[in-house]
Amino acid sequence: MIKYLMKRIAFSIPVLFIIALISFILMYTVPGGPFDKEKKLPPEIKANIEAKYHLDKPIYKQFAIYIYNLVLGDMGPSYKYLGRSVKDILKDTFPVSLQLGLLAFIIPLFIGIPLGIIAAVYRNTFIDKISMFSAVLGITIPHFVLGALLILIFAHSLKIFPPALWEGWSNMILPAITLGIGPTAYIARLTRASILEVLHKDFVKTAFAKGLPYSKIILKHVLKNALTPIISVMGPILAGLVAGSFVVEYIFSIPGMGRYFITAVTDRDYPLIMATTMVYAVLIVIANIVVDVLYKVVDPRVRLE
Amino acid sequence: MSILRYFILLAILIIIGCSTKTPSDAGSALRLNISGEPPTLDWTLATDGTSFHVITNLMDGLTAFDKDMNPIPAIAKKWDISNSGKRYTFYLRDDVFWTDGAPVTAYDFEYSWKRLLEPSTAAEYAYFLYDINNAQEYNSGKIKDFSLVGIKAMDKHILVVDLKKPTPYFPSITTFMVTFPLRKDVVERHGSRWTEPENIITNGPFILDKWKHEYKIELKPNKRYYANKPLLDKVEMFMIGEISTALTLYETGGLDIVGIPPIAISHYKDSPEYRNMPMLRNNYYGFNVAKPPFNNAKVRRAFSMAIDRSEFPKILKGGEVPATSWIPKGMLAYNPDVGLKYNPDEAKRLLREAGYPDSKNFPKVIVAFNTNPDNQMVAENLQAQWKRNLNISVELDNQEWKVYLKRLKTDAPAIFRLGWGADFPDPDNFMNLFTTESGNNNTKWSNKRYDKLIELAAIEMDAEKRIKLYNEAQRILCEIDAPIMPIFISAQNVLVKPYVKDYKLNPMDILYLKDVRIEK
Repeated sequence: MIKYLMKRIAFSIPVLFIIALISFILMYTVPGGPFDKEKKLPPEIKANIEAKYHLDKPIYKQFAIYIYNLVLGDMGPSYKYLGRSVKDILKDTFPVSLQLGLLAFIIPLFIGIPLGIIAAVYRNTFIDKISMFSAVLGITIPHFVLGALLILIFAHSLKIFPPALWEGWSNMILPAITLGIGPTAYIARLTRASILEVLHKDFVKTAFAKGLPYSKIILKHVLKNALTPIISVMGPILAGLVAGSFVVEYIFSIPGMGRYFITAVTDRDYPLIMATTMVYAVLIVIANIVVDVLYKVVDPRVRLE
Repeated sequence: MSILRYFILLAILIIIGCSTKTPSDAGSALRLNISGEPPTLDWTLATDGTSFHVITNLMDGLTAFDKDMNPIPAIAKKWDISNSGKRYTFYLRDDVFWTDGAPVTAYDFEYSWKRLLEPSTAAEYAYFLYDINNAQEYNSGKIKDFSLVGIKAMDKHILVVDLKKPTPYFPSITTFMVTFPLRKDVVERHGSRWTEPENIITNGPFILDKWKHEYKIELKPNKRYYANKPLLDKVEMFMIGEISTALTLYETGGLDIVGIPPIAISHYKDSPEYRNMPMLRNNYYGFNVAKPPFNNAKVRRAFSMAIDRSEFPKILKGGEVPATSWIPKGMLAYNPDVGLKYNPDEAKRLLREAGYPDSKNFPKVIVAFNTNPDNQMVAENLQAQWKRNLNISVELDNQEWKVYLKRLKTDAPAIFRLGWGADFPDPDNFMNLFTTESGNNNTKWSNKRYDKLIELAAIEMDAEKRIKLYNEAQRILCEIDAPIMPIFISAQNVLVKPYVKDYKLNPMDILYLKDVRIEK
């Protein structure tokens, strides 16, 4: 297992390098620079700024400097938030997104999977149709609509939860629901399909023939075998949730990292663009490794090579 | 079983959490929205309004604005101007202290201005001091010896500034944040982290108490402040980007002051909490005069005369002031009589004279603007007006802000949108924009007489004479050559709770909080 993990980590280094390279090139091909503003700067001031941030050097040198500093643990200074390093920004914002993402992840885990099981068990009944209708609704409603609706109902009208900000647990509920509903719906549909597939397998028929209790068959035999496709999507879903969401963090005014996926690009804050991209890439890589290990836990027949 | 136990624990935590903290344990705390994280609180490097909102309440400079935006003494109790108009001698008060108890001296100003001009600081607003002798040369690295720059602290309380030319608006420049004094020892001791609450040393009405990045800044009164002490116990500045969220917080009692978007104005228009004020910010559409047919002034004038500017406040609903002239309302030399007034018949006649009778054979025209819902509405309105009044169909083209700026720099479209907000309330800040040498002149238009007028007005100390010079220059800019079409002056729209007293809007959109009080 250790050998396998080491191998996977070693393989992920060139993957991350290629992601960094492609992101860097794409970033520089987008027109407009970090210091282009409505009020144009005199040439001598622009020259001072470009020298300070090495923007006067050729792009390959800039990339080399970036990678060198990154290896040393320095993600560079933000071009927009002057005097703050990108590392400081991530240190402040990532824990917030992580907290919100983990809270949101509870919803697909504890609501999505049971909902899928119920829909599969009661397939083609009213319960199934209601469950799947809710799931489709959850997938199709965009965050900005759902967030606004929740604020309107629970904050503005009922005054149960605060409409925004990040002061305590009560502030986390509405954004966590907004963030978690989409994945919940997706997981519910996936669980239903996966369970229905397993239900037709011979070993399940045997279990029924043996007269085992229905709940035991579903929870012990069927669910365990239906988990593989669910686990494979849970990893990237978790990575996406903990990396933060621009829309949810913006609507609820949450000081997380998600907003920087968009604002860093509109500001052309190159080091911050690279940092958010790389953090997300690392999270995906980690999630995929964890998923592979979980396959082994769920299904002992899987061999990690 | 363990999962179930975890679930119950989580539910209990949520219920406990719901019944505890709310953001509104007010007292005489003022809660407002500054819309986003200030990019920096280092006033040497700051360039944006959000940072300025905070810094203005932490720091005082040599001068400050009165309610009419005229510069008045602040840390400088008075100043002398030499007969040539090129030497300013500022006399500093001796009762102004930093928050750690040290006195504010002329040396702190000298250090701050030197740091602003150091090439290695790479300060964007270093050019604010370019009117000073050798300042530009020092900033560009042409000279290395700072003693050659016209900034000198003669002793603790006297600062002498030598200018390249008489600059009547210099006391306005010294109200601006980049000219505020700095503590050399603090900057050198803490490096880039000197602006964090545990390190920063300031001299203004408030102290930076807490700075939770991307979320909230808290200020508390400065007990050592030399002037009237602030009347608030605490100021909470939230960084809420989404306007509708901020508005909901205001409605539910979480904020005391909030800016409102145009779409919400009609809803609050009759509320006593609604306030509106035009800003020193003008909006215009410019022509690229190198691109035919807009190389012909008659065509440019025709387009400008075919616009009924009174339609803009109706569609934007934000209290905008229609404008045909460039210097905004509230500034010296504002003259609403200047500019091309709405006259579709005259516009058609001009087009005929330019060789386009009934707009026949008029080439395809692209009207460009940066992507924004308000800009879209204005551009569509212009498109309709030009079709209705000139029978010319223009094509609209919008782009993301930075892409748009790049395009203006490399190949400006035939007609393009831009705006300009005052850095300091003097007409030079606006009129200088369209001189031949200005980096902000995207029109490629050049007029020697205009350049001369701006140069003369900039050094003229007599206000009446300045107004005359600017009137003539504005006529060239907005009537005769018409490389730009001013369209409207922007306004600010805010809601203020009735218990917030003495909160006054100003045309520079400067957030002064020292006189504000809460009366519940």
